[in-house]
Amino acid sequence: MSLDLSILNYEFMQRALISALVVGLCAPAVGVFLVQKRLALIGDGLGHIALTGVAIGFLTSTTPLWTTLATTVAASVVMELLRSHSKTSGDVALAMMFYGGIAGGVYLTGIASDKGVANLQQYLFGSLLTAGWSEVWTIAGGGAAVAALMLVLRPWMSAICSDEQYARVAGLPVAGLNLMLLMTTAVVVSVSMRAVGLLLVSALLVIPVVTVQQFTRSFRATMYGGMAAGFLIAGAGVVASAVQDVPPGATIVLIGVACFVATAAAASFARRVRRTWRRHLPPEGEPLEVELPAKG
Amino acid sequence: MPVIATRGATVSYGGRAVVREVDLEVAPGEAVALMGANGSGKSTLVKAIVGLVPLAAGEIELFGTSRRRFRAWKRVGYVPQRTGAASGVPATAAEVVAQGRLAHRFLGLPQRRTDRHAVARSLAEVGLGDHAHCAVDTLSGGQQQRVLIARALATEPEVLIMDEPTVGVDAETQAALAKVVADRIEAGCAVLLVTHELGPLTDRLDRAVVLADGRVVHDGAPPRPIGEHADPRHEHSHPHANGESTDDFWGGK
Repeated sequence: MSLDLSILNYEFMQRALISALVVGLCAPAVGVFLVQKRLALIGDGLGHIALTGVAIGFLTSTTPLWTTLATTVAASVVMELLRSHSKTSGDVALAMMFYGGIAGGVYLTGIASDKGVANLQQYLFGSLLTAGWSEVWTIAGGGAAVAALMLVLRPWMSAICSDEQYARVAGLPVAGLNLMLLMTTAVVVSVSMRAVGLLLVSALLVIPVVTVQQFTRSFRATMYGGMAAGFLIAGAGVVASAVQDVPPGATIVLIGVACFVATAAAASFARRVRRTWRRHLPPEGEPLEVELPAKG
Repeated sequence: MPVIATRGATVSYGGRAVVREVDLEVAPGEAVALMGANGSGKSTLVKAIVGLVPLAAGEIELFGTSRRRFRAWKRVGYVPQRTGAASGVPATAAEVVAQGRLAHRFLGLPQRRTDRHAVARSLAEVGLGDHAHCAVDTLSGGQQQRVLIARALATEPEVLIMDEPTVGVDAETQAALAKVVADRIEAGCAVLLVTHELGPLTDRLDRAVVLADGRVVHDGAPPRPIGEHADPRHEHSHPHANGESTDDFWGGK
């Protein structure tokens, strides 16, 4: 099989590649905090809510991008208020988002019946190849803004994500930063789902981060490594899908999952080899502080 | 002006009062232990002081300012109870300790040299200077506890509030901790230490406040170990039985 990249001469392929690369680079910059906060599924949850936003766009004949953005940002505010002010646990709130978002999307497109549910499908799985230049620029602009914000605020965001109670005693604006994390997630999901699909964007939030953290020791390396891995996975996915003529979104996700499984296996193998080769002793425990009875 | 002052502080969880009308004062430079059995409300009181749980009644002041209006959190160093393993994403010891400098930094601005120095100095102070770039989750429990203490020290606080820093840590860490805290007391930093056992630290304390069932039952000199507890070789590892002989617990001698 020879690698024929001449397909990249087509403008639609260039658009697809650029949008995938931007999402691949920027999504892990937000995703690293979501993984740290153990909210890995939140991107998917907001994506489901985004379906309702798309349907509202159909219903009111406005550009779905703006209604989606408004709906997901509003949902993230409600979610954060629920999480911090009531006894609703994170996974219950998440479950509500999944069910409510899908149902709202299908219900509202049912009302706007001339468009049909089939249109929603395009948002679930994306249509990288039909994105126009204006959509590509929206993705690039939104992605760059989100990534820049997360890079600048990294120490603060990572403090509230790793130890929220300590962050509060340190006087950080915890509520505001939590809200900002959810809102930037909402922005990433809604600007990119039309082109790359809900399935893909939430996968790119999480997979690159959990892949590189098998080998990293620091938060900073995990963040930069995740962004690089997302970039590579997205690029490889688009090229592979073009060569084989299969849907790019699914290809990117499958490559990501394969990378994760491979690195997880390699990391556990490497740890075992290192221990055997260097004869690492287990860390010294406390000295035994009892006198063992003499054998008699 | 006391560093910490609570007046009639009452905290309740779901209608049940856990801390009842506690009056507690910590003067500048004073080292106070907050003691009591498990469930006596000592951790809850400390959480109320730093604003992590709301007060049902009473008043708390930090540095003479009502806690509600208190914003100078860089004057407070807080060591929370250690909770299990580290979070989902790896972080180095230096990165965790750097969180202690965030109270001094403006949102979005990079680390300055003083911040980096404070981080390195605090890590060295707790004896982890060589471990600055190790992932926290590869460190032992005692070392992780020392990282949390270094994070509080990096804030360069005027009062150090520590919630059970000696639970489940090795003797080496306890000794290191006692020295670090003693140094801070020398330097004029006030200390509020929550503990349920007498350890190497208790000698350096000015005062102990003992809680039982959410109320103050003793406020004065730290309790002295008596009987076999006074023996320096005694290892304080048995459960705290109330009056009953611990020998029976282990099946008699």
